[in-house]
Amino acid sequence: MAEVKLSGISKSYDGGKTWVIKDVNLSINDGEFVAFVGPSGCGKSTLLRMICGLEDITSGELSIKGERVNDLSPHERHVGMVFQSYALYPHMTVEKNMAFGLKLAKADESVIDQRVNDAARMLQLETFLPRKPKALSGGQRQRVAIGRSIVQQPSVFLFDEPLSNLDVSLRVQMRQELAGLHRRLKTTSIYVTHDQVEAMTLADRIVVLSPLGPKDSTNLEQVGPPLELYNRPANMFVAGFIGSPQMNFLDGHLESSGTERAVITLKTGDTVEVNCDAHSAKAGDKVFVGIRPEHISAQFSSMDNNESGKNRILTKIVAEELLGSESFIYCHHEAALGAIIIRVMEITSKPHDQSLSVSLPPKCCHLFNEEGTAFPRAGLPEVF
Amino acid sequence: MAMVQPRNLKYRVWCARVGLWAFLAVTLFPFFMIISISFRAGNFATGSLIPENPSLEHWSLALGIPWVNADGSITEPFFPVLTWLWNSIKVAFFSSALILILSTSSAYAFARLRFRFREHMLTAMMILQMFPAVLALVAIHALFEKIGHYLPWLGLNSLSAVTISYIGGLALHIWLIKGYFETIDNSLEEAAAIDGATPWQAFRLVLLPLSVPILAVVFILAFITAIGEYPVASVLLHSMDKLTLAVGSRQYLNPQNYLWGDFAAAAILSGLPITIIFVLCQRWIVGGLTAGGVKG
Repeated sequence: MAEVKLSGISKSYDGGKTWVIKDVNLSINDGEFVAFVGPSGCGKSTLLRMICGLEDITSGELSIKGERVNDLSPHERHVGMVFQSYALYPHMTVEKNMAFGLKLAKADESVIDQRVNDAARMLQLETFLPRKPKALSGGQRQRVAIGRSIVQQPSVFLFDEPLSNLDVSLRVQMRQELAGLHRRLKTTSIYVTHDQVEAMTLADRIVVLSPLGPKDSTNLEQVGPPLELYNRPANMFVAGFIGSPQMNFLDGHLESSGTERAVITLKTGDTVEVNCDAHSAKAGDKVFVGIRPEHISAQFSSMDNNESGKNRILTKIVAEELLGSESFIYCHHEAALGAIIIRVMEITSKPHDQSLSVSLPPKCCHLFNEEGTAFPRAGLPEVF
Repeated sequence: MAMVQPRNLKYRVWCARVGLWAFLAVTLFPFFMIISISFRAGNFATGSLIPENPSLEHWSLALGIPWVNADGSITEPFFPVLTWLWNSIKVAFFSSALILILSTSSAYAFARLRFRFREHMLTAMMILQMFPAVLALVAIHALFEKIGHYLPWLGLNSLSAVTISYIGGLALHIWLIKGYFETIDNSLEEAAAIDGATPWQAFRLVLLPLSVPILAVVFILAFITAIGEYPVASVLLHSMDKLTLAVGSRQYLNPQNYLWGDFAAAAILSGLPITIIFVLCQRWIVGGLTAGGVKG
């Protein structure tokens, strides 16, 4: 049981010329489950390996249980790591794999037996103890890797994309097992993933990281509970990264603003009203309106299909994805950055090039300034 | 596998078989010749493949047993062949073992550690290895002569000198083992480090057990090289009882008197330790040792 504190953590491989990770400040509470997410190249695995002690920390301070651990070896930090590639010792049986660390520490034979058996029971590996890793399936191997960490009774669990090598159904099952395991052990856990569903379902808090640009001062974008990141993204990067398919953005400028609502004129001349507190900005400022695919409504049957008016924009269908339970319609609109994606529950195919009028409900819209920082949303319940 | 084959495949298979048999004959003929010569009475290089009047004369002399000729006279063994064989085995075994220890540890450094001039050192080793050891004969001779003044047991005409000089052929083996180490996922050693292993423990308990096949291959290669090596050993060794078999069997071939039969018996004897080592090491050369450990 331990809290982990990162202050000003930075990493550079070439003596300060280029940075992979810059100025990450983060406090992870005792027993908390935190997920690091971000696109590839954002340094999330590197950050985890720095916490583990497999990479050295260029600058900043890392403490576990209030003790500075920058210069301690992985073992001295009392962390357990589960690798994406499992990293089991192929020449040892499951039992020896799990007992390896305790044997090195010269623990009592009875202690080793008991801990290995406890872990095996918890992970349903009892019948596999005498087998070698190559005789196990992917999910079983990953469980052995988890078991190997558990027997060491680490103060912090580190997971480096542990499920990404498993097939989809197994991944869902292992996700449930990991959640159950964390409920039982209540060990502080840090979990790196590029799969936002894993992050949303497992984590108490999510840390969103972005690839470091030359001018960025940090790659830490936002930290918060899953639903807060979904409902109140701090900037366009988080807004675009959390949620699938990603949020649509429309280019425009501010017409008028107040603490409760703002009116935006899009590049195409359409006006959109949003429930956001944009009083800090002036009329005429460049802004982006964001709206998630699931919040756009489109009526195919209505007669006003060609009407363009307040919070309604006229788009043209360019592609669609029919998934059975729902469909994603890709539409073209002059003011949009990329295609506008709309989620609809209808599952019948729509003719391409047909124009489609969609409405953007004001209370579902997000508003970002030119730098991409979000304006506070008004009228949302405080729980989010 | 029911792959559809073109119709003329049958003829091509037969052609391939004939070709392979011909190739086998060419390869194996010299070997059968040597065996034949070693069982032939008298010292004749030519003759029929199956000796007309087989005799154990050469084998008896090679094994150090006096041979009673047909006329009752006794031929004493000319040379201590078994001593030479034992010398060869000692030199080959110890030099291979030393090569194995040194090349494994340096291959680990080259494969896993990051240090300055790493790439340059690797290239330099490769290039230096391309010069045949014969070029350094004078240097090797001078070196061990000098060393002999201070450490007589490591000077000229000592087996330890030969053993040490054979370690020079290390670079090739370092490359070989380094290549194998690089196929083993680094995360295994990282996992061991998290489990509390020191780098040495990770090397010994995780990396080495997985590298047994390549270690066996390197040992065999080094052993074969050492058993067959002639130039360096011939310069370093002088006295009759110190020679290796490769150098010693040259004694049979005097300008006026080519003792082909005895030479052939000695040559076959020198193949014996190689065969035994190969049979012993073969069970370590297996694939799939790392299977199941990592996925990615």
